[in-house]
Amino acid sequence: MFVSALLSGLSCFTTSPATDTLRSRGLDEVVVTATRTERPMGALPMPVTVIDGKQIRQMGSLRLNDVLGEQTGLAIVTNHGQGVQMQGFNPDYTLILIDGEPLVGRTAGTLELSRLAVGNIKRIEIVKGPSSSLYGSEALAGVINIITENPAQTRGTLAARYGSNRTSDLTGDVSLKQGKVGLYVFGNRLASGGYDLTPDVPGQTVSPFVNYTGSGRLTVDWSSRWKLNLSGRYFSERQDNRLALPDGRMVAGPGRIHDMNLNPTLTHRPSQAWKLTYRFYHTTYQTQTDLQHEGTLLPNESRVYDAQFFRQTFNRPELQADHYIRQKHILTLGAGYIAESVEATRYTQRQRFGTRYAFFQYEWLPSARLNLIAGGRFDSHSQYAGQFSPKLSGRYELTPALALRGSVGVGFKAPDFRQLYLNFDNAVAGYSVFGTEELPAGLARLRQSGQLAEILIDPAQLGAIRPESSRAYNIGFQFRPGGGTRTLSNLSLNAFRNDVRDLIETQPVARRTNGQAVFSYLNLSRVFTQGVEIDAQFRWQVATDGQLTLSTGYQFLDARDKAVLAQIDAGQLFSRDPQTLSSQRIRRGDYGGLFSRSRHMANARLFYENAKQGCSATLRGIYRSRYGFADRNGNLILDDANEYVGGYILWNLSAAKTIRSLTIQAGIDNLLNHTDALFIPNLPGRIGYLSARWVMSKRKDVSDKSI
Amino acid sequence: MKFNSFAISFLLSGLALGQWACNTDDTPAVVPVVAQTVRNLPADPTTGVNPTTGQPLGTTGRFTLYNLRDNKTVANTDSATNKWDVGFRGTTIIVNGGAIRSGQGGAYVHTGTFEEFTTVPTSATFGQDQSATSLAIVAASGRGWYNYNAPANLITPIPGRVLVIRTGDGKFAKMEILSYYENAPTTVDPNRDRQRFYTFRYVYQPDGSMKLN
Repeated sequence: MFVSALLSGLSCFTTSPATDTLRSRGLDEVVVTATRTERPMGALPMPVTVIDGKQIRQMGSLRLNDVLGEQTGLAIVTNHGQGVQMQGFNPDYTLILIDGEPLVGRTAGTLELSRLAVGNIKRIEIVKGPSSSLYGSEALAGVINIITENPAQTRGTLAARYGSNRTSDLTGDVSLKQGKVGLYVFGNRLASGGYDLTPDVPGQTVSPFVNYTGSGRLTVDWSSRWKLNLSGRYFSERQDNRLALPDGRMVAGPGRIHDMNLNPTLTHRPSQAWKLTYRFYHTTYQTQTDLQHEGTLLPNESRVYDAQFFRQTFNRPELQADHYIRQKHILTLGAGYIAESVEATRYTQRQRFGTRYAFFQYEWLPSARLNLIAGGRFDSHSQYAGQFSPKLSGRYELTPALALRGSVGVGFKAPDFRQLYLNFDNAVAGYSVFGTEELPAGLARLRQSGQLAEILIDPAQLGAIRPESSRAYNIGFQFRPGGGTRTLSNLSLNAFRNDVRDLIETQPVARRTNGQAVFSYLNLSRVFTQGVEIDAQFRWQVATDGQLTLSTGYQFLDARDKAVLAQIDAGQLFSRDPQTLSSQRIRRGDYGGLFSRSRHMANARLFYENAKQGCSATLRGIYRSRYGFADRNGNLILDDANEYVGGYILWNLSAAKTIRSLTIQAGIDNLLNHTDALFIPNLPGRIGYLSARWVMSKRKDVSDKSI
Repeated sequence: MKFNSFAISFLLSGLALGQWACNTDDTPAVVPVVAQTVRNLPADPTTGVNPTTGQPLGTTGRFTLYNLRDNKTVANTDSATNKWDVGFRGTTIIVNGGAIRSGQGGAYVHTGTFEEFTTVPTSATFGQDQSATSLAIVAASGRGWYNYNAPANLITPIPGRVLVIRTGDGKFAKMEILSYYENAPTTVDPNRDRQRFYTFRYVYQPDGSMKLN
């Protein structure tokens, strides 16, 4: 069925009536994430990628991880969820925003990207390099901003999709525009039977789940001066977990996630020179798991195997003022207050903390060729040391087609909740883990009950925990040959270097009388990531109306721990020969760098579109070279060949045909059925799907029909 | 005592010790200053794990005591003598010296390769077993002889760690732990391979000198 649908989609390559000129894509489309003001993308001095909603639909993506996994320099990595790795940083270091407001709810640092449906996305803006000068904590590797649809016109869509693993997706949205008032409402239901990559082991790799997303936006343009925007989103998921214990007995129960945000924004333009934005943002994130034993219980065993909850809230009022002076100067000032709280099974009580912050940015356009931006932000936190994050960036046009750009900036990531507040005693293994704020009380408690043997690191000498911070350099060029008829439409290169310090790690700080350790969190490691990212886009006209676009990207990455390098240089680091079992000294060349980073990543994505015929097709290949998963030979670093996951390519294919207002799409993801149950559990095998999308539009809108 | 003077006399005579083997009837067979490899020494192994709690089952809590000179295990009833030099239980390694031992031994962990460690420096400081939680060889991941890799659930001896041991009667030895799993598999499967089985190599110097090659 899928194959025939694909073939029907491909059939439009052969027919070619009428004439049409190539539609030049908006390279100067407006981007808001990089500067927090609306700026043309081509003029920005930092690397920015924009993915529009149409491209997302052509790819047949369902969730945000599907989209991001195909972008140059980004990799989806799994650790308590699927997160994004950018410029060699773990998911903890990339800030994810919806309409400029941060998403919360990370587990072990990972914000699960599959929480986000893509049906309401107008475009995604990706800014690489630190943006803490505007956004504060977490914007260390970069920022991903999801811009949702706004009610610009009256229209509605309805889409349904069904595919492998009993995965069904229903999406609908309605957009109403009446005079000064606009309303946009979006709803999505995604259900899946999950999948099992290890049929011989009881329980599935991914358990069945169903989730619902609702979002909306109300806009009121009172006058040319005052505008109100009210947006909100709700997400709810239930997953039916069932897994086997080592003895073969089963535990089962639901895992629930609720996620909500609300964001009223008032914009005031008292004059052409000033724009004031008053924002309030509220979000909550909560999870609950409840696993119970199935069948008969052992003596004295409780029915409950594991019950946990986590609740996080985030409230933020913010004021931003933009001042425009004669098209040459743009000054942005902002200030705000963040109030956060968290409650969880492993925390003593409800914990709260606050951050006061202020930022400024000055953009100067001394000539048509030069653009300089200087900015900085100060974050003053109630629990840890304050942080100043400056950034300087510039762009210079050598010719109208070729521009150089570079930036130097500081990014930071605040200690997270568990690093501050975790209070966990493992009753089985006998060890304890305390967040830095809980450590003195935790040690006192152990001492009082006679369980403390020895203090290895005195908490009093540690001082306040510091945020992790990085100094980053990005330099590159962008080449955009003029005219819409050239084959090469865009070539860009960005070289980056991030020097990261004060990475927070768990470390034994004391010993208990049972011989086990007491762990806490310390500012320890220094690492660097460096690399080069290259993107090229080619365009051809096929017959008269068809347009073929090839986007290719490549990233070279080198990420290493500076302490490990120092140990190697001092001859203090060894590996064990797997055959003779004797130790041998490690040289620099043996060290594979930080775990889960591929040295090479590449993609080639072919998009075909024939707007007149209403058909489109895509073929995308994504490559990751081998990457380390864990140490196996005792030295804790990546050096042995059996510590790597092999490199692989994924191929995704889709085709669509539009007849009037109906679009039928078929696709196959992971065409070659690549799976790895042990190391890539988030990758199901080959997935086929078929979908239908119906657009109801008040006005005729041709561009929207081509999917 | 008889044996030691015998061995020393041979050392002094400057024979090529590596090729020498002793089969005299009235003394135990000893090959001094030759690396010995001990395989699969059980260190209070488990009969399984409690499926629910993950706690080991069937352990006795006793150390396997070892005599380096004779290259053999020693009964626990001899724990208050100088007959044993090192003891093993789980990841804990003990030596015969300190407040809770009868001998005058000690130990420290040297960073380097086994082959390169040829002489105990005179400046070396030996730790002793002062209490069950204050041992000469620290029984904690990353701080003694092993690393525990939580994601892979693996205990691996840290490569490039030499346990320098002074025995209860003041002799010196060096030891490298090679594996913690039965039959020292090249690639350990923590779900299948039994842990608490030591494979190690050592060199014992019976003449009381600090030379270990």
